[in-house]
Amino acid sequence: MSAVELPQAGGSCLAEEGCITCGDTALPMRVLDVDGESRLALCADEAGATEEVAIDLVGPLSPGDAVLVHARVALVRLELEALR
Amino acid sequence: MRFVDEFRDAELGQALATEILATVEPGRHYKVMEVCGGHTHSIYKYGIDDLLPANVELVHGPGCPVCVIPMGRVDDGIALAHQPGVIFTCFGDMMRIPGSEGSLLDAKAEGADVRMVYSPLDALRIAKQNPDRDVVFFAIGFETTAPSTALTLKRAKAEGVENFFCMSSHVTIVPPLRALLDSPDLRLDGFIGPGHVSTVVGARPFEFIPADYGKPVVVAGFEPLDVLQAIQMILVQLAEGRCEVENQYKRVVPYDGNLRALEVLAEVFVLRPHFEWRGLGFISQSALALSEAYADFDAERRWSVPGVRVADPKACQCGEVLKGVIKPFECKVFGSACTPERPIGTCMVSSEGACAAYYNYGRFAREREVV
Repeated sequence: MSAVELPQAGGSCLAEEGCITCGDTALPMRVLDVDGESRLALCADEAGATEEVAIDLVGPLSPGDAVLVHARVALVRLELEALR
Repeated sequence: MRFVDEFRDAELGQALATEILATVEPGRHYKVMEVCGGHTHSIYKYGIDDLLPANVELVHGPGCPVCVIPMGRVDDGIALAHQPGVIFTCFGDMMRIPGSEGSLLDAKAEGADVRMVYSPLDALRIAKQNPDRDVVFFAIGFETTAPSTALTLKRAKAEGVENFFCMSSHVTIVPPLRALLDSPDLRLDGFIGPGHVSTVVGARPFEFIPADYGKPVVVAGFEPLDVLQAIQMILVQLAEGRCEVENQYKRVVPYDGNLRALEVLAEVFVLRPHFEWRGLGFISQSALALSEAYADFDAERRWSVPGVRVADPKACQCGEVLKGVIKPFECKVFGSACTPERPIGTCMVSSEGACAAYYNYGRFAREREVV
């Protein structure tokens, strides 16, 4: 539909699944690395695609934690036990 | 990470459908509104409505962020995009929403520098990469998205970025729900509450619905079992004569929301006295403008915008679809003059719009006899 391609996790806004941001969609992602100074974390989605995510709105994170991400911002830290 | 498979189990889905069938009272018609466009999308993507008894009707609510943007607001964005030296940024679906004289995509074709971004943080990065240009971000969305805009503005201020501006069209979820509940057009029995908005605001803001209107609310996730279970929980409340707020999406939604996000929102935004919603008209205190502390970043203070109210095209019935008064296929132009490729109305643009969901999943007519 669109010639625009975005490299980050979640893909194009105009992909088959629709615009992730406009659809209020949020993606569960795994934290790979945390930069405490910039409050950014490198996170990976289920397919392994990575993006930098702002973590200002959630508590301290460590690699291995899971977060729910919307528009490159972590909205909530997911309790993995509760997910099972 | 296994977040998804457990919530798409077909056997569990059938079991929930059987429980729903056993819960409904024969001869009673139930109208349940899913507030969020993400739920509308899930319902048709997974065929959830086909698992429901004929007397359980799902009504689609106003929770699709692009669908509720009025045409005049699109025109305001296009006017900013045409300002000399401006790079105008917005989310993907927003580019295709028709204004009175075309969309932002059309403005781009005419030479305006309009760029799609995935996050307001991307727009800020563009501003830092282009210090000689002014970068405007067209901010839309409910409380799910507003914190990312607020965080971006906090970062811009902290870093002293002076060429980044925001045109805020963020909206809030509670006022339109109250407007719908006050509307005489619609008789609803319960609500499937928005899952991701509630990660920010929590489930508590919906307590007015059972308290003031006597209707149950169940905040739900977006996988098929989430939605089915939420419907079942609503029907059980009705069968037991209860009405309260329940949280089906506990694995993600804290009942009190994200307090840190709410603090950031309170710092960066103030409530607008009123804001026009497509189909719902002006609703007081239903949208967010930048606070005085962030006035320097406010695109509407930096440039003047037309601010003209534009009536929807006569043929378009998005307003009635957004209020749940008609089904998309009952609109005169659905699937003929109005398609996802050439949308007339906003509901046909975003895949979370009810019309696009019906169109994409082949719901061209009433297929279930509603009792």
